[in-house]
Amino acid sequence: MLKAIRARNQTKAWQKLHDVHAPKAGDVAHDFELHDLDGKNSVRLSDFRGKKPVALIFGSYT
Amino acid sequence: MSLRSLFEQYHDKVQFISIYIREAHPIDGWWLGGGLFGLALKVTKSRAATDLYDPKTMEERRQAAGRCESELEYGIPTLVDDMDDTVNSAYAAMPTRLYLVGADGRMAYAGGLGPFGFKPQELMLAIEALLSESVAAAGSLDPSVA
Repeated sequence: MLKAIRARNQTKAWQKLHDVHAPKAGDVAHDFELHDLDGKNSVRLSDFRGKKPVALIFGSYT
Repeated sequence: MSLRSLFEQYHDKVQFISIYIREAHPIDGWWLGGGLFGLALKVTKSRAATDLYDPKTMEERRQAAGRCESELEYGIPTLVDDMDDTVNSAYAAMPTRLYLVGADGRMAYAGGLGPFGFKPQELMLAIEALLSESVAAAGSLDPSVA
């Protein structure tokens, strides 16, 4: 229980730290390059620039 | 409005990318699988997992991401954030967040932090607005539209 509370507080602190720097509407999107589930193929956000919009969906399984 | 239906409706005009980030509520972290909240997850038949530890290696993270992709069935291809949480940090995304990036590379929509700010309906409206702007811009460049 205490461990969960400590983790909750850490998560809230992390969110507070990073949320102020999160991109807002109109900002240039931070570019990134990430790999797929196999770790073999990579995708770069800027590859889609000038081609089509990109919807980014962030999440985990819990 | 589910993410799956959004994807099915717009995937030919919009590139959808699902980014698996650090687990929000793993067993060894801010776990919500016990007590009344855990009971509520079972009663509501939530598809969120309650039996995952926070992945400690990239391989473990890829495995968890694969399980997430196959069991949540969004139909959207998944990319996996690195163990330094680089992209998660840049987009302040944990636990969940939605964004729409225009073809010009600028943010057309920046959703709120999940779970309460996670609103696929808002994303849909942003997609509609962006696509309408594109059509209008194309029309204004077309000499036959005058």
